[in-house]
Amino acid sequence: MSVGKSIAHDSAIGHVTGKADYLDDLPRWENELVVGTVGSPVASGVLEAIDIREASELPGVAVVLTHADIPGHKTIGPIICDEPVLAFNELTYIGQPVVVIAAKDNDTLRQAMKLVKLTVRETPAILSIEEAIEARRFIGPARTIRQGNASEAIDSAPHRLAGCSHVGGQEQFYFESQVALAVPGDDGQMTVHSSTQNTTEIQFVVAEVLGVGSHKVVAVCKRMGGAFGGKETQAALPAAFVAMVANRTGQPARIVYSKDDDMQITGKRHAYRADWEIGYDDRGVIQGLRVQLHSNGGASADLSTSVMERTMLHMDNAYHLPHAEIHGQVCFTNYPPNTAFRGFGGPQAIAIIESIIEEIAIDLGLDSYEVRSRNLYSANGDQQTPYGQIVKRNHLPEIMPMLAASSKYVQRRAAIAGQGSGDPFHLRGISMVPVKFGISFTSKFLNQANALVNVYQDGTVQVSTGGTEMGQGLNTKIRQIVADELGVSWQNVIVMPTSTEKNNNTSPTAASAGTDLNGAAAADACRQIRERLTEFAARRFTSLEAGRCESPDNVCFEAGWVFDDRNPDATRIAFGELTKMARLDRVDLGARGFYKTPGVDFNRETGKGSPFLYYTQGAAVAEVRIDRFTGEIQIVQLDLLMDIGESINPGIDLGQIRGGFVQGMGWCTTEALVYDSRGKLLSHSPTTYKIPGIGDIPDVFNCELFENSDNVLAIRRSKAVGEPPLLLGVCVWTAVKHALSQLSPEAARSLRLPATSEEILRCIELPTTNKLRVEAV
Amino acid sequence: MLKTIGNKGLEEHATRDHVLFYLNGQPIRVQGADAFLSLSSFLRRHRRLTGTKIVCEEGDCGACSVLVSKLSAEQPDYRVVNSCILFLFQLEGQHVVTVEGIGNPKDLNAVQQAMIDCHGSQCGFCTPGFVAAISASLEKHGCASVLTKRAWKQELSGNLCRCTGYESILDACASVGDRYAPLAARYDHSSQRQAYLARASEEVVIECLEDGRTIHSPTSLARACELKNLQPDIRLVAGATDIGVQTNKGRFTPVHLMDLSRVAELRELRLGQEVIEVGAGVTWTEFWQVTQECLSQFEDVLYAFGSPQIRNAGTVGGNIANASPIADSLPLFHVLDAELELVSIRGSRIVNMNDFYLGYKQLDLRPDELIAKVRIPRPSPDYHLALTKVSRRKDMDISTFTAAMYVHVEERQIVDIRIALGGVGPVILRMREIERSLLGEAWLHETLLAAGEEAARSVSPLTDVRGSADYRRQLVKNAFLKLYYQLIAGQAQEA
Repeated sequence: MSVGKSIAHDSAIGHVTGKADYLDDLPRWENELVVGTVGSPVASGVLEAIDIREASELPGVAVVLTHADIPGHKTIGPIICDEPVLAFNELTYIGQPVVVIAAKDNDTLRQAMKLVKLTVRETPAILSIEEAIEARRFIGPARTIRQGNASEAIDSAPHRLAGCSHVGGQEQFYFESQVALAVPGDDGQMTVHSSTQNTTEIQFVVAEVLGVGSHKVVAVCKRMGGAFGGKETQAALPAAFVAMVANRTGQPARIVYSKDDDMQITGKRHAYRADWEIGYDDRGVIQGLRVQLHSNGGASADLSTSVMERTMLHMDNAYHLPHAEIHGQVCFTNYPPNTAFRGFGGPQAIAIIESIIEEIAIDLGLDSYEVRSRNLYSANGDQQTPYGQIVKRNHLPEIMPMLAASSKYVQRRAAIAGQGSGDPFHLRGISMVPVKFGISFTSKFLNQANALVNVYQDGTVQVSTGGTEMGQGLNTKIRQIVADELGVSWQNVIVMPTSTEKNNNTSPTAASAGTDLNGAAAADACRQIRERLTEFAARRFTSLEAGRCESPDNVCFEAGWVFDDRNPDATRIAFGELTKMARLDRVDLGARGFYKTPGVDFNRETGKGSPFLYYTQGAAVAEVRIDRFTGEIQIVQLDLLMDIGESINPGIDLGQIRGGFVQGMGWCTTEALVYDSRGKLLSHSPTTYKIPGIGDIPDVFNCELFENSDNVLAIRRSKAVGEPPLLLGVCVWTAVKHALSQLSPEAARSLRLPATSEEILRCIELPTTNKLRVEAV
Repeated sequence: MLKTIGNKGLEEHATRDHVLFYLNGQPIRVQGADAFLSLSSFLRRHRRLTGTKIVCEEGDCGACSVLVSKLSAEQPDYRVVNSCILFLFQLEGQHVVTVEGIGNPKDLNAVQQAMIDCHGSQCGFCTPGFVAAISASLEKHGCASVLTKRAWKQELSGNLCRCTGYESILDACASVGDRYAPLAARYDHSSQRQAYLARASEEVVIECLEDGRTIHSPTSLARACELKNLQPDIRLVAGATDIGVQTNKGRFTPVHLMDLSRVAELRELRLGQEVIEVGAGVTWTEFWQVTQECLSQFEDVLYAFGSPQIRNAGTVGGNIANASPIADSLPLFHVLDAELELVSIRGSRIVNMNDFYLGYKQLDLRPDELIAKVRIPRPSPDYHLALTKVSRRKDMDISTFTAAMYVHVEERQIVDIRIALGGVGPVILRMREIERSLLGEAWLHETLLAAGEEAARSVSPLTDVRGSADYRRQLVKNAFLKLYYQLIAGQAQEA
């Protein structure tokens, strides 16, 4: 069996030797054009004129395109069609593409870009959630999820708190920036290579923009150098640009964003503002919660309404809220359209509710762990979420105490409390955060996948799915699943580049569901092939002399062999031999599999349903040490325990967990997006935007898997793992909050996310906080 | 004018019009405009060695890391550098080894194998850079097992990874063990060296006929002074850790460059009883090798100062000449009253570090002068030296605020104190008035707090991407308070 083994990533050898090709590594075509864009100089304005004459006439420039040159749709959008491919009339964010230029080389391109003249009248921009609320500039409808009577419950609760939480955005910072290559084919056909999580969207957008049928476009993605949600929808524009150039010139065209451009003009994780009110009893048990969420959507809808939906669906995190009222509204702002980023709105919800929990604990003088434990959904499967889904197979009531014991939480918390202000240099804090993350797309139709499995006559196998490989190990897991389904070794299975030619109408590789969906579809294809081979083998294994009647039920596929288990030794035949004979006997050795997630549905109008097939759960506890003088933090110890079911590949899953956690930790600490007063992003490269470095990870980093085999709902009883660990990063932030609470409740309450050194020092230096009073030794 | 320089050189110096180096064991000769290319572009576009990745083009992510080693050295001295901010002409006399030259799918080196076994790669884009950086560490330290996890974190601080959270990469480092086969076994250093030595003293003179750009790479200080005198607007390049970034980002267009890396006199480093004499061309890595005992307080600053890649290329003189108000070495040099030796064909003169900076990026440096060396008095054991570098991230980050405080306290009384602050003005600020006001004062919390508050009031920091003015003022004040506690904590320890 391959499943359950920690085999290496299927591209690992290519990664470590530099032989794995990414899009920019593919050789240049002889007549290939270099493509770039000229963007809006203002966050908000009217585009009065575009003068491309000089740029067009520059020797070496092949073509200069504006919105007027778009053959098909001029606006696109995955949910709401409101994003201009190239800006016209209105400019809505700095860097918004206005002109596309194709040239023979980079130097010419750069020169031509300088020759484009845009006549722009700047208009007042909306640069914050607050300004958008004030101006009532919203995207999509206001949504509500409601259970019980929150107002009444809050009013009658013994304790009440209200507050406003601010949660920052985050740059995906995939290493490979957006990149696309279009190669024109016969008869108006176009092949587009894109670094995308969603080949189908690339195909559809390119077809729409070119004004041709989808059948004329093939979108291909072999691998991505990271994506994290940033290539779910936003790979579409660069793909459209090169397709337009290739369509116009008949020449291959490639665009490679620089890191600075990518960070300045593509969307990020949404910043949120939450205005909340909560009522609770003496033990910290929540009686009622009311929260109004506003997110910073940027200048067009992109996935923002869907992201907001997931935030609303995760406001409960792991806690039973019998009376809850959750309102959500996406705000229009003059920034690049914000988009998917690992967690997809979930992390913001967890940060907000966990911040509230921490404040309840401070208010009541309780350990926040106690407050959390008392509010957890029960393990009995008898409680429902605010949106009406019953929480089944809830393991958090076991996970949290297990983690508390293994991490010596109680002793360490007591030690910190005992230390008080004895250390003039440092503040310490500790906090545990649980996470319950819903698995499935909340848009029902996306919960489908198809797969193509080709078995060749020698018994080797190629698999193609709509799933894309961005480093998460999807291809490796599919390889393992297929190998087991056919009873062959994983070395005989290869997962092929993702292409719309082989897999049509696919969903993005997102929502952590890549393996669940595509793995199940691949297994379905294997089942069909195995059934045909079983039938063929059964006939072959029939032996009247040996007393074996024809019995498909007795045919086994194992370790590269096929045999009749009534007499394995006499019947044993190599899989590759059987396939050779099957082909000669005209047995079809290819199949297309299909999978749709059963039983998920959600009505966003009523805010009710069971949108999730199951929940992935876990908890983490962080201890932080803060330099009182500079606000700098160090994570002294991190303990993490996750339930990911029966792991298909523990080595890969551990990587997802640790990597996801560190990404979440970065969002909560060092990753600050800094803009100037005109809406220009100042932190647009690693010099100024700080993802965690190797020195930032916890000094002690313990990561364990919770043993659990009850997830019969997903392929091989596994659980989705991509996003949930990122949310656990919030425990670093709540630990900082705990540390600050030792100075004053105000210092803790004042903390915003991310907790940069500057933000922490701001809280330490608040006039209300206890000043350092340790005198000479 | 250009011709004059070239011809004049011909009389006394053997010159050649091309750069010589080795790439993965093969000799390479580069001339003309190609010499201005970055190494990463050359690798990817000209040699199709696409394993070396480009992400930030500013030396801040490590994805483009490669190894270089001096051909003229007795033994190969492989070190890791960022190929995106290295001009090809800087490779004169070096052997470059890229990820493709470290090992290949049929012949993996131990680092590559360990990265595979430990799931050290996910998306794979940063992986070649990590393989190069880990290999460089093993070249330097020998057997991997001697390095602690903390040491590995320092060794790899120049490489970012967005996928793994680094733990699996650290697992890989820990598991390489003594299976690592040095590159010396793969590449015949001595024959490369033999072939190169005959050409090692030749001055490289590159002239691009099409646009008039020039590069000179002299091999003596006298010649460098001569060139600077003949062409005062010639831009000096030592490690190119800043100029390389400026070039990539389109903020600087190289026209006339002089590479100082081959000037032997600039690479001298002497640790005297009283004074450390450092040639301007000494890299930070070389500097630290010699000074880590006598300047141990510099350790934390140094490890957050760039990365191994940057410290292997960036020079002491470069940090001084670049004149950034947040340059990490400068507060230290200010409080130690370091002196600069400036040279020209007219001779040399000495300038105190505290008098060298006239305004933002303005130096007391005449057009024909070069910084030859810096003389740093060794810290006195009677003094407490506190260095602060605050940045958003601990490693590899440009400072928001820097400070150096050098104080002599006896019987709880301040005998001498020197304070230099960076990041709160156009130049490093020596806080003379506060220093004077503290002389003779008692070492008390309120004294230091008052001094800190006064200092915070007296500076006018900017709000920028690295921090607000308020934050910087708080840091100024707190630097004084922290100093107070550090000193009493230190005395308590001694007691």
